[in-house]
Amino acid sequence: MNWNNLFKNIYKTNSMKKTGLIFCTILLMSSIVTVNAKKMETKVDYKGYKVGDTATDFKLKNVDNKLVSLSDYKDAKGFIVVFTCNHCPYAKAYENRIIGLNHKYAPKGYPVIAINPNDPKAEPQDSFEGMQQRAKEKGFTFPYLFDAGQKVYPQYGAKRTPHVFVLQKVNGKNVVKYIGAIDDNYSDENDVSNKYVENAVDALLSNKTIAVTSTVAIGCSIKAL
Amino acid sequence: MRNVIVLLITMMALTMQGHNTKIKMSGTQTDTKKGQQVTIVNFEKLESILKKNDNKLYVVNFWATWCKPCVMELPEFMEVNKAYEHNPNFKMILVSLDLAKEAESDVKPFLIKHKIEADVYLLDDNKRMNQWIPAVDSHWSGAIPATVLYKNGKKLDFKESKLSKNELEQLIQKHL
Repeated sequence: MNWNNLFKNIYKTNSMKKTGLIFCTILLMSSIVTVNAKKMETKVDYKGYKVGDTATDFKLKNVDNKLVSLSDYKDAKGFIVVFTCNHCPYAKAYENRIIGLNHKYAPKGYPVIAINPNDPKAEPQDSFEGMQQRAKEKGFTFPYLFDAGQKVYPQYGAKRTPHVFVLQKVNGKNVVKYIGAIDDNYSDENDVSNKYVENAVDALLSNKTIAVTSTVAIGCSIKAL
Repeated sequence: MRNVIVLLITMMALTMQGHNTKIKMSGTQTDTKKGQQVTIVNFEKLESILKKNDNKLYVVNFWATWCKPCVMELPEFMEVNKAYEHNPNFKMILVSLDLAKEAESDVKPFLIKHKIEADVYLLDDNKRMNQWIPAVDSHWSGAIPATVLYKNGKKLDFKESKLSKNELEQLIQKHL
């Protein structure tokens, strides 16, 4: 199947009003095309941010139904943006630590902004209602935003949950300072040797160079159709 | 006469049943030999298993029982494994990233239930993820499933995504 030709046909049909036969064929194919078009959309090769890049702001719906943007936080020095979700065991294992990060760093000017990047069509547990329930159960004290249409996570280059981006406000821009894992032991928070995110934010708060600016860890792939 | 017929039918039935049991038993033995073992390893040990100078193509899949896309692709991986397992230059290895303490409780029952017939290792090296993930591939973000192909200690291909049967077979054909 040559998709390019098919798309060309769709456009031709719109402009030239081709015969009903072609139109019917396109109608029949439309569901397949929709699915594949979506796949192509997510496969656009966003490289995502590197340390030093400026991160985009967004306007996403929080679990309390209000829209949240980074620009709402006039007094923040930066942000701990965490791509996380409801269903992933790694994300769950880190929930208490994410709450702890916000508790420790929001008063110092680095609040946690959690974003669920998953498409509920691909992972029903990560629905907006599921997010509301999870936030309530765990008593999230930070926004837990829904990346409707999965538009924000590819720009950041989030690849898995949980995936953290520490941003610092520099001349009104949100500059990426750290990308990666929260710490080096998802399975046992009492046996952590490197608190990557805390070390990064502590360094920013004391105007020091961040020793480890990016890390990788096993996580759940982001679920998009 | 009727008795003789009944006896004959009974004998036939018994013989057939015996035959079936025999087949089933040998099948189970194969399962035990291959699928039901989970060997817990650290990264160095895993590398020594994957990077051998034996001219074999090692198809290595990183997965976990809780990972939905991983679980979705496994049946097709098993089909492909069945098709190639008799090739002396082919070896499929599954690397579970479940917790070591879940090897008996979760991983083994999963392997039996899903009839996984490939060598299974559990990589128990959580605290050094930031070292071994880039060692497997510098572009790996850590999302699973991920599949990597080695031959003679050399990495030939790496895919950080779910693979279709066709995609997997193409990779194998390319490097076998």
